Amino acid sequence: MHELSIMQALVDAVEAIVREHGARRVVRLVVEVGEMSNVIPMYLRNAFLAFREVKPFLAQAELEIRFVPLQLRCESCGFEFQPQGYRYRCVECGATQVRVVQGEELLLRDVELEVESDDPSWPVELPSHGAPRFCE
Amino acid sequence: MAEIRTVRVMESLLKANDYVAQRLRQAWDQGQTFVVNLISAPGAGKTTLLEATLPVLLSRYRVGVLEGDIETERDAERIRALGVEAVQVTTGGTCHLEAPMVEQAWRLMDNEIDFLFIENVGNLVCPASFDLGEHLRVVLLSVPEGDDKPAKYPKAFRTAQALVITKADLLETMDFSVERARREALEIQPELQVFVVSAKTGVGIPAWTQFLEQRRRQTFPDA
Repeated sequence: MHELSIMQALVDAVEAIVREHGARRVVRLVVEVGEMSNVIPMYLRNAFLAFREVKPFLAQAELEIRFVPLQLRCESCGFEFQPQGYRYRCVECGATQVRVVQGEELLLRDVELEVESDDPSWPVELPSHGAPRFCE
Repeated sequence: MAEIRTVRVMESLLKANDYVAQRLRQAWDQGQTFVVNLISAPGAGKTTLLEATLPVLLSRYRVGVLEGDIETERDAERIRALGVEAVQVTTGGTCHLEAPMVEQAWRLMDNEIDFLFIENVGNLVCPASFDLGEHLRVVLLSVPEGDDKPAKYPKAFRTAQALVITKADLLETMDFSVERARREALEIQPELQVFVVSAKTGVGIPAWTQFLEQRRRQTFPDA
């Protein structure tokens, strides 16, 4: 269950963005999870909920997970298709030289922040209550 | 006044890992250390394959091993029994190795080596997502696991450059078709080099070790 370590990396990246923009809190996160990214959206969401309890800047944040199906393009005949059973072979001409168009990504796409533009008390030190334990 | 601001990021969630992996790869390229990342399910025979591989390489190369496990030093002790330096990384629950763990262990090792084998945590899922900076990723599939594994764990096979089918001495007694496993794996990754070995009888070990030497020569032509 590596989703927790991936979520740890996501939270670190988001925390840096929060500080950079002097934001008050995160409203929404949008991530893209490819079919071939080896990440199960449900587990990613569970990991997010665990972090949300210990990271105040995420307390009211929503996580949107966009699932991206695997799509391949045949290098020989140019046909684009979504493979069945992870067969990296053109369903049209049978060639095995295929390129991944999408479906391997694991991306932090957007971060929506609430920014208090005229609040002099920001940025403040963000309290941290540690991270959840891994893989238990 | 509160305002909502959307920041377009478009960055990989594995960026932090990949950054360290890239730094490791540069260090290894500079020192001409050829690094192999072994991935398989628990019990497929990663340590046993190393026990058959290392004695062949030891006559001509300086070799080191980094052992990833959730707990215990057992695998590292088996490697040390061969007279090879082995550093055990215990992940304490994490189901795979990440590049920063490898970098930390690499700092503890003799860096003047020609081959470094990284034995990942036994798991055919999560290790596939984490680049460790290796030159060669090898996935192992043991005969008792069944010939239908590749399509069940596609990412491990997709991201590897070599497949080693282990425990070939059991082929006579198990219902395992090498051709089916090979065909299924090649549909996921057409570039895979496939080896069929038995560490017990020694079958296939010469072809496998020659492949490792050849890959090292290709990576470092002036070594």
